[in-house]
Amino acid sequence: MNALGFAWRSLVRQPARAALGVLGVAAVGALLFDMLLLSRGLIVSMQDLLDRGGWDVRVSAGDLPGSGLRLPHAIATAESIAQLPSVQGALIVRTASAQVDRASATPLHVSFQGVATRSTDPAGSRLRAPWTILRGRDAEGPNEIVVDERLASQTGTGPGGEIIVRATCVADLEALPATRLTIAGIAEFPFQTTSDSTVGGTLAALAAACGGNIGDEADLILVTSRGDADGTAASIRAEHPDVRAATNSEVVGRLQQTGFTYFQQISSVLTTVTVSFAVLLITVLLTVSVNQRLGEVAALRALGFSRMRVVKDVLCESALIVGTGGLLSLPLGWAMASGLDRILKGMPGIPAALHFFVFESRALVVHVALLVATAVIAALYPMRIVSRLPIAATLRDEVIG
Amino acid sequence: VRLAPAAVLLPAILAFCVLPPVAWAQESTAPDVLISRQLAESEGLTVGTVIRLATDASGAHAREFRIAGIYEPTPDPARLGQVPRSVRLHLPDLLEMTRPVDVPAGAEYVSSVNVALTNPADAQQFASDVNARLPGVLALPAGEATGSAGPFRVLERFHLAIAIITIVAATVFLLALTIMLVDERRETVGVLRLIGLPVRRILTQILLEGLIVAGTGAVFGLVLAALSEQLINQFFQWRYDTALIFVRVTKDVALTCVMIAVPLGASATVVASWALLRRGGLRLARR
Repeated sequence: MNALGFAWRSLVRQPARAALGVLGVAAVGALLFDMLLLSRGLIVSMQDLLDRGGWDVRVSAGDLPGSGLRLPHAIATAESIAQLPSVQGALIVRTASAQVDRASATPLHVSFQGVATRSTDPAGSRLRAPWTILRGRDAEGPNEIVVDERLASQTGTGPGGEIIVRATCVADLEALPATRLTIAGIAEFPFQTTSDSTVGGTLAALAAACGGNIGDEADLILVTSRGDADGTAASIRAEHPDVRAATNSEVVGRLQQTGFTYFQQISSVLTTVTVSFAVLLITVLLTVSVNQRLGEVAALRALGFSRMRVVKDVLCESALIVGTGGLLSLPLGWAMASGLDRILKGMPGIPAALHFFVFESRALVVHVALLVATAVIAALYPMRIVSRLPIAATLRDEVIG
Repeated sequence: VRLAPAAVLLPAILAFCVLPPVAWAQESTAPDVLISRQLAESEGLTVGTVIRLATDASGAHAREFRIAGIYEPTPDPARLGQVPRSVRLHLPDLLEMTRPVDVPAGAEYVSSVNVALTNPADAQQFASDVNARLPGVLALPAGEATGSAGPFRVLERFHLAIAIITIVAATVFLLALTIMLVDERRETVGVLRLIGLPVRRILTQILLEGLIVAGTGAVFGLVLAALSEQLINQFFQWRYDTALIFVRVTKDVALTCVMIAVPLGASATVVASWALLRRGGLRLARR
């Protein structure tokens, strides 16, 4: 019988302790797996969210898009960017706070996104707005909008219906006349938070909702390059030194240095704690188990089992406990990650499509590597005990004791 | 109580373009500003230096200000990882610099007004009165201003969930260990049974042992937490350049830990022993 089979029999001989050991590793392994998913989850998810729209350069006034600073002379800037040879098209995005009136309930607070495309390329002119149409069609006219599912359900309307919007483009104290807008379609907004509703339309529709008081500012200009995003961002920076142009990867890099740091740190800390915890506990389990079987091991040595063979038995026992627990930890960890993701997505301002725990094959590779290391390190001390076991003295103690 | 919006005179915080220092206080009657420690360190600024501030990155329309002091920004967990390079100006100076040309003086906006009440317990009533009397103004007690789902309440729930998972994993391991340890003492328990000790007496002894071991473990854990508390805080304060406290072992936290650890440890010992004690003395003592 090989070492693995022998180790398996040793474990099944005492099923309760083996099962508890495996369950313990599964729970710790699940936490470890979750921490590995968390360590890069936000980055991967944010990169995916940014790439999904098809815009590869973001031009803003602040270091990060959405910082609250607005780009002045937005239309002229977007037109100038659209003229660059590496640019396919540019989309001006202006956001305003708005209220949607309801007949028999309090008004709803929403975010109104107004967009306008600038392009010298026929393909660029057809670039779509930063939302996905779910039903109906995209808003095109100055009196048309698209709304998200939540707003459609809260107002009891849908494509073809009308809502009354009061938008404030300049300051919160403005008292603007209500504007009646037609819902052209229901859309999904990628950066919409779980607690907010969003309305989208052309820049002209936003201007109409703001009573024309919109100015020539934009929150963001989204740019699609002809393939070289880095070169396009550099060209924009050279052409407009007063604005910040960043590729999607650069935006994620900046977020990584600021907003995402906390989760990376907590993930590193908990990964270290979890692995140490697992090593310590499995070492104790194996050591106690080996100590209880010293007579048995000595007898096996006396029967002709080599030193290497009994060491292998202990290592295989550790590998079986950690391996089985590790396998169980994957579905368990995935289920736990869903729950933890739901908790963290309760944070205000987090886009609904953003996830904190995202599966990556490299996370799985690191998880397996850490578990293998855990199995080996945890087995070191018990392996040392069995390798140095004095056969005659142990057998004598066993008989006398 | 926090009101928003209104127009009043208050110190304000705003990110500005800081231009190189131009002079020293003795030569200048420039208005005073405070700058954050981080800004002072990164730009090599000291108290008394006259700096120029502009709202435009090009430095156009810059105004001179004298650094009256350097302050440590109130730690803000929401801005973790962002070095607060901030300047505090008196509100009239700020409005003077930021007012659009077509807006007359006195017609500007501020985002919020903080109100200190004579009796803080009146916050809720005061907020209700303001909301009723001033349409267009939203007043909230300061405690509610961040909303019920503030990021730190969410993080608290997240940490609690992690703690529960850790406790479950630890409990499983603890059970496995106690089963092994109890099994190791099978013969001793068998002898005790044979000399006449009743199961209840042995179980009480095991429970007491479990309590002592769990209590010692809990105290050791608390000492370890207290020792690592400062280490963790120092590391993260250095890492993020903030005065924020990341870990604090409070009396309540320590008590909660003991209340969980001791009964859990003792119960694990008793549960693990129970199966053993149901066997007969002879069977236990048999080799």
